[in-house]
Amino acid sequence: MRRETQNVLLILLGGALLKIAINGDYLRYVKPSQQPWVIVGGAVMAGLGVVAIIGDLLAARSAAMADGPPAKHTEHVAEDGHHHPARSAWLLMVPVLAVFLVAPPALGADSVTRTDSRAPQSAATMDAAAFPPLPAGEVVPLPVSAFVSRAGWDGNGTLNGRRISLSGFVVHTQGGTLLARMVISCCAADAYPVTVRLTGGAADRFNSDAWIEVTGKVVPGTATKANSYTPDFTLDSIRPVPTPKDPYEY
Amino acid sequence: MRLTGRDVWGWARPSRAPGIISRVATTSDTSAPPDSRSGWRRVRVTSIEVLCAVLLIAILGQSWLQQLFDVPALRTGSTVFVAVCVQALPFLVLGVLISGAIAAFVPARVLQKVLPRREGAAVGVAGLAGIALPGCECASVPVARRLMGQGVAPAAALTFLLAAPAVNPVVLVATAVAFPGKPEMVLARFAGSLATAMVMGWLWARWGKLSWITERALRRMPDVESGARWTTFLETARTDLVEAGGFLVLGALISSAMGVLVPHRWFGVLGDQLVLGVLVMAVLAVVLALCSEADAFVAASLTALPLLPKLVFLVVGPAIDIKLFALQAGTFGKSFALRFAPVTFVVAITCGVASGALLLGGLSYAGGVK
Repeated sequence: MRRETQNVLLILLGGALLKIAINGDYLRYVKPSQQPWVIVGGAVMAGLGVVAIIGDLLAARSAAMADGPPAKHTEHVAEDGHHHPARSAWLLMVPVLAVFLVAPPALGADSVTRTDSRAPQSAATMDAAAFPPLPAGEVVPLPVSAFVSRAGWDGNGTLNGRRISLSGFVVHTQGGTLLARMVISCCAADAYPVTVRLTGGAADRFNSDAWIEVTGKVVPGTATKANSYTPDFTLDSIRPVPTPKDPYEY
Repeated sequence: MRLTGRDVWGWARPSRAPGIISRVATTSDTSAPPDSRSGWRRVRVTSIEVLCAVLLIAILGQSWLQQLFDVPALRTGSTVFVAVCVQALPFLVLGVLISGAIAAFVPARVLQKVLPRREGAAVGVAGLAGIALPGCECASVPVARRLMGQGVAPAAALTFLLAAPAVNPVVLVATAVAFPGKPEMVLARFAGSLATAMVMGWLWARWGKLSWITERALRRMPDVESGARWTTFLETARTDLVEAGGFLVLGALISSAMGVLVPHRWFGVLGDQLVLGVLVMAVLAVVLALCSEADAFVAASLTALPLLPKLVFLVVGPAIDIKLFALQAGTFGKSFALRFAPVTFVVAITCGVASGALLLGGLSYAGGVK
């Protein structure tokens, strides 16, 4: 592959990283704290391409003006680099096309049916003392992962009888309609789902992957190892909500 | 599909500089000398034209492309693929910057002075030096290659390659957070990974052959005169990034495909079979190619599994996985990777089990659930 093509590819790929880091799409792929890494990584990558192009142009111009042997810079570059075909560099096209043209969505219902849902990490090692009483209030909003770990592991029953509000996307399985959230710890490759089974049938009319917000109460004792910690939830209300910018829990 | 000339896949060195010059001359100078026009008589397809054609076709076919990826499994796979790339590329950039800095600012004789002369002792120092590079495994491959290029003994450079992603403070803190109340897990991971790296270094010092490593990875950089240091830095970083980047993408493609194809239910059914559990977790560590800063959280979330298979998962993952194998094959050559990777896999499992048996209170406890 020609040197110019390599530089163009570096600029394209760096640009792709910068684009998703700045417009917020990076939240579909990695956790929020990675943003500075993605920005700096993309900027450095594109910068290396730009600097190499400028360097080559300057070297070529000075060589053309002097009409002599190529400038020292170019010569040095040549001995450093490639006599071997850099065929692998073509693969850099794949993420560029994937980001700019396909723009894959955040993980959704398909990943939930593909992966066993789990109790959130470290919940197994917590004892009852790790679950303080819920804040006072008519309706308590909770992350789905916190709800599931309380339902599965909290011996004191702090959830019982309380009205909870949860938000997530709809998944239809043989076992019924679920509300699910993906939990990631670094990037979407390590995501696992946490799920809540919505009883009563009010959620059945929503399509898979539709985002909803529900309020209701846990059915105590329904989150067990056998159903991979999927507690039952009796619905009080359900309403569609727009897809959040940040679709994962951490 | 082989297009005309070498220019598409790689250019021969002598033709390069004149190529640039004539290109610039035809674009920037309207009264170009006649001989630069003669290049246009033969229509040569270079990689630049191929790149433009691919981009054009992709843009025109965008809606078709999006339709193609609207299958649930492909959608999930492509999301995981982009996620691995977005997550790993910044670390690779960090790695190539360090590699460029070593090439430009650290003369070979300084490294030789710092490291012990005896290879066995150098392996020990290199293993402990891994603590100082806080990053994922992708960062350590270009750095290890550059160390070799600067005359560090390959055994020591390979030890560093295996140790750096597994024993650095960021990874250990992540492990401690993922396993609260189990400091022995952090210690066991540290010991298992360091042992893997050092055993591999000593094995290489005893049996490794330099001829397995591709000549290009070993090529000595000439000592840089002070005027050209920044040029060398930028050029080395750029070249390493282009080379390694392609292989990182290849690894991400394979691991995202595997992530969709391998049934995750494997995780769930292993509770009582310790030997099978260890083996399956080791294979999953290779196949899923998780970042070493995240794998502890994944392991911790598998509540049905005893501690020992989880530990093996954490020791094997940073030492060898598909992404790393692709990077190693691209950087050090296929014949190196095909020998090094399987041995690493076996050594990592052994060291993981040994460290678990010693530090997690023996197999009987480690075998007990929860």
